[in-house]
Amino acid sequence: MKKGNILAENILFILLNLIFLIILVIFLFSKTGSAAVLEEKYAKQIALMIDSSRPLMEITLNMEDAIKKAKEEGWPENMIVNIEGNFVTVKLREKGGYSYSFFNNVEVNANFDPNFKGYYFVVDEINDKQ
Amino acid sequence: MINNKKTIFCRLLKNSKGTDKILSIYWLAILFIVAAGIVYMVVVFYGEPYDVREIEATLLANKISDCVSDGGYLKSNIFSLDNAYFFRECSINFEVEDFKGWNLDQFYVETEIYDFDDTKNNFQGDLLKKFSQGNVALKDFCSEKGKNFPKCVNRKFYAIDESNNQHIIGVLSIVRKTEKNVR
Repeated sequence: MKKGNILAENILFILLNLIFLIILVIFLFSKTGSAAVLEEKYAKQIALMIDSSRPLMEITLNMEDAIKKAKEEGWPENMIVNIEGNFVTVKLREKGGYSYSFFNNVEVNANFDPNFKGYYFVVDEINDKQ
Repeated sequence: MINNKKTIFCRLLKNSKGTDKILSIYWLAILFIVAAGIVYMVVVFYGEPYDVREIEATLLANKISDCVSDGGYLKSNIFSLDNAYFFRECSINFEVEDFKGWNLDQFYVETEIYDFDDTKNNFQGDLLKKFSQGNVALKDFCSEKGKNFPKCVNRKFYAIDESNNQHIIGVLSIVRKTEKNVR
């Protein structure tokens, strides 16, 4: 066996291993940071946060990763979280979105805070009690 | 040149010397098996929805507990409230998203106020008041084990009323929402 051949074989071996590892890492990152996973995670987190809140509370939530993903998908940052009635919807792309309900009968306003890279939620009483 | 490349590739596959660290077909197979294992595990892990039902049921039990007592004292008007008024005062809304035929049937909550009786093992005397709302059929599944069954949280605590009478309060909260929390 020539010395040159051994070197070429080793380089090819290392390169193939590196390519294999890179593909695996890219796959892992694409799965962990996918829009669908983030939408579900934040919708449920916000719903639980609201369930444990009381009127007159203001809650802030850092959503840096979701905002980054929405930017990549071309979705406006101020339209990521939408709360209507007792449903939270988190949407990070045009064709997507995840909704989850909360049982706490409160009125919640979701506001985007660009400086904080997240949202703040203002919890208030519903004025329909008779 | 082409011939040289062919020789290298052949060497990679042939494993000409056992002691040489060269890429063999077996090594490629191992790489693929490892990759398939990792891909399978990741897909299973991230394909499974986050199961938040137990936390949700705990929060619901907390909410009901706060409606019944405050700082260890029963709410003053608790015995005079009717069922509907209690839950309206408690600010609870069991409306759920329109998903796989869900209706107002994904929750059940029940609270019972007993006299305190220290002669009994569970300290529960006579039942004085009971409030309940939601899908009562979910109660039947509380004894079942498994991720596809609703999550139940059962708790008991002690409180006194304005006249310093002692009471035991039981709270049972159940959350179904199986389709959004289990695959």
